Amino acid sequence: MSGALLSRRKAFRRMTGFGGTLAATALPKTAQASAEEHPAHPVAPPQAIAMLYDSTVCTGCKACMPACNEANGLPADTELSGGIWDMPTSLNAQTKNIIELYQDPKSDEFAFVKKQCMHCLDPACVTGCPFGSLNKNTLGAVTWNPSLCIGCRYCEVACPFEVPQFQWEDWNPKIVKCEFCYEQRLKVNLEPACTAVCPTKAVIFGKRSDLLLEAKDRIAAAPDKYFEKRVYGEHEAGGTQVLYLSSVSFQKLGLPKLGTTSLGHYGTKVTSVIYKWLSGPLLMAGVLGFFIRRNWDRHEAETAEQERKTGFPEQL
Amino acid sequence: MSTTATPATDKRGTALINHWQGGVPVNHGKIFTPVMIFLLGVSTLGLGLALVRFVSPLGPFSAMNSVYAWGVWKTFNVMTLTALGSGPLALGMAAWVFNRHILHAVMRTALVSGFLLYATGLVSLGFDVGRPWNFYSAAMPWRWNTESAMLEISICMPVYCALFLSFEILPMILERIYYRGSEKVHVLLRRISPGLRKAYPFMIIGAYVVPLMHQSSLGGLLLLAGTKIDPLWQSPVMPLLYLIAAFLCGLSFTIFLLLAVCLRYSRPLSSEILAELANLLTIICFLFLAVRLADLVWRSQLQAAFRFNSMSWLFLIGTSLILIPAIMLRFKRIRETPRTLLNMSALACLGGMWYRFVPTTIAYRPAHSTGYFPSALEVLIAIGYMAVTISAFVFAINYFAVLPGEADSWDHTFRPFSWKPKAIERSVVPKVALKGGA
Repeated sequence: MSGALLSRRKAFRRMTGFGGTLAATALPKTAQASAEEHPAHPVAPPQAIAMLYDSTVCTGCKACMPACNEANGLPADTELSGGIWDMPTSLNAQTKNIIELYQDPKSDEFAFVKKQCMHCLDPACVTGCPFGSLNKNTLGAVTWNPSLCIGCRYCEVACPFEVPQFQWEDWNPKIVKCEFCYEQRLKVNLEPACTAVCPTKAVIFGKRSDLLLEAKDRIAAAPDKYFEKRVYGEHEAGGTQVLYLSSVSFQKLGLPKLGTTSLGHYGTKVTSVIYKWLSGPLLMAGVLGFFIRRNWDRHEAETAEQERKTGFPEQL
Repeated sequence: MSTTATPATDKRGTALINHWQGGVPVNHGKIFTPVMIFLLGVSTLGLGLALVRFVSPLGPFSAMNSVYAWGVWKTFNVMTLTALGSGPLALGMAAWVFNRHILHAVMRTALVSGFLLYATGLVSLGFDVGRPWNFYSAAMPWRWNTESAMLEISICMPVYCALFLSFEILPMILERIYYRGSEKVHVLLRRISPGLRKAYPFMIIGAYVVPLMHQSSLGGLLLLAGTKIDPLWQSPVMPLLYLIAAFLCGLSFTIFLLLAVCLRYSRPLSSEILAELANLLTIICFLFLAVRLADLVWRSQLQAAFRFNSMSWLFLIGTSLILIPAIMLRFKRIRETPRTLLNMSALACLGGMWYRFVPTTIAYRPAHSTGYFPSALEVLIAIGYMAVTISAFVFAINYFAVLPGEADSWDHTFRPFSWKPKAIERSVVPKVALKGGA
């Protein structure tokens, strides 16, 4: 009996020792780590691509919408138009890109806005996706992989711009979202369908750093024209790879008011430390194991006594 | 669990028999009462509809949309009901880690209800996901996105239910097999049981660490939703609060369940165990409220709680549902009167459920102008899962030694599995006690 106890003790000690060494090796690493996985304010890599949409230039011709449908093989949404032409009311299961109109009911103020995936620098959908179905590639395009997606729809809960669309009416549902035309066009050195087709150059394609400079030049050239004299997407949710300029409030255009911290940083700053190499759970197991072991031994003695007295075995 | 043959003495001096010594099956009365038949009908309907949903898209079955992507199946059957299923975590940690020995007698009630709530929660998740055929990735660690709270939940929850909770209810099933089995079965089980006993303390470490992880991850999920959730709820301490709420719901639901079922089957109560549980419940309630208050003060959201708009009312109602029982249960008379204890634990349980339910539903307010209200089919399926839980629990307490009772007056007879209620043949108490217990 004592031999068995000793070996169990040994095994237990070895276990806590294991947790301890793991914790000891893991914790300094997090402290030393210079390149944080989810910094509060991510920096775009030099090769990061982007789109710049200037609402003051857009004429609302919607040429980008059929171009997008064609490039992505999407059917036209003809539900509202009675089967005649593409007429979606918002991003939906067959619309990856849409031009919406904001109109003030009282004044004659109006503006168009183009909606599609914002390709965040630190996308919340990619952080949340359990099996890495959503992925941000080196250029910065956020793409979806059908063979890894379980359809949990956490990306839709996580996305602050409400972009990913789930095919509710499909037996084999997909997540429909703008993927920067990565497979279709970027890979063969073509720019995305929407920027290629835009007749007024309201939406243009380029390196994110270049487009940020371009946007700031436009603001500097006509400071009174632009709302808050700033670029939406430069810092929103840690920064996005689609940038907006507008003469009316961004919230009126349906772009949410967001902080400058990336959601991935907010969502993982504590757990990334706790779960680093599973040190937190292993430590917890060690601590709980210590008390359970002690109480178990006490309990064993008591039940043996009990069984001798009453003749009844104890129930676990 | 431990059978105290000597009557425990009441602290006031009057002798009081501890009626809860261990699990004893309900050996009298019909099982298929009209209520049970109704519940079984609802279960069949719900599960049948869920099976149809399996070969159909989600659209026709639910009112979910891409803005409100999570419906009642996730927000109620998983987020809320697995909190009720945290009884084994709360009671188990109190008993084994904090050495509250007295609670072993009611552990099986918590274990069985917890197992059933988790199991139906997982079934509901399985029918809710859109591409379940890709779930095999869970067995391929190189595909895991380890920073995702969703991954943590989708792996830890099934493991907890299928491995740890199942292991913990295994002795209960083996016990029935032993006492109804032949001599061969006795020999076999006597050979197995020492091994089970050796594994037990190690298994319960996992049985507490794993739910600590995924119950907090359920709150961690909502962090990424960011500003979509009202600032009264959206907070970096949400994982901790979700975990405390799981303890709160687990404890209060176990008290509620014990009282309700013991009243139903006219079993005597044990004031000592109930007082201990009530005491633990108030501690957890005050802990929850303290963390909640500190969080609101720290994020300077306290005045938002008293703006008396819809969100503020939601917060105030939910908080008072926890505050009232926390204060009331400090009074000995209320704590020791079964009726008031039942009411107070029900209130606390509702309060915990409220906290777990609201952030994903009513306080989840994306800017987009769509809404969500569960469709009739969605609700029917959700109710079906609950009916499965309840009817399976009734079967469990009739066929297995689950409910606490006077163990030394029970002769180890079990009801036979049969459709027609038969008179139970009186069996003889085994002369050789099963070494180590099944």
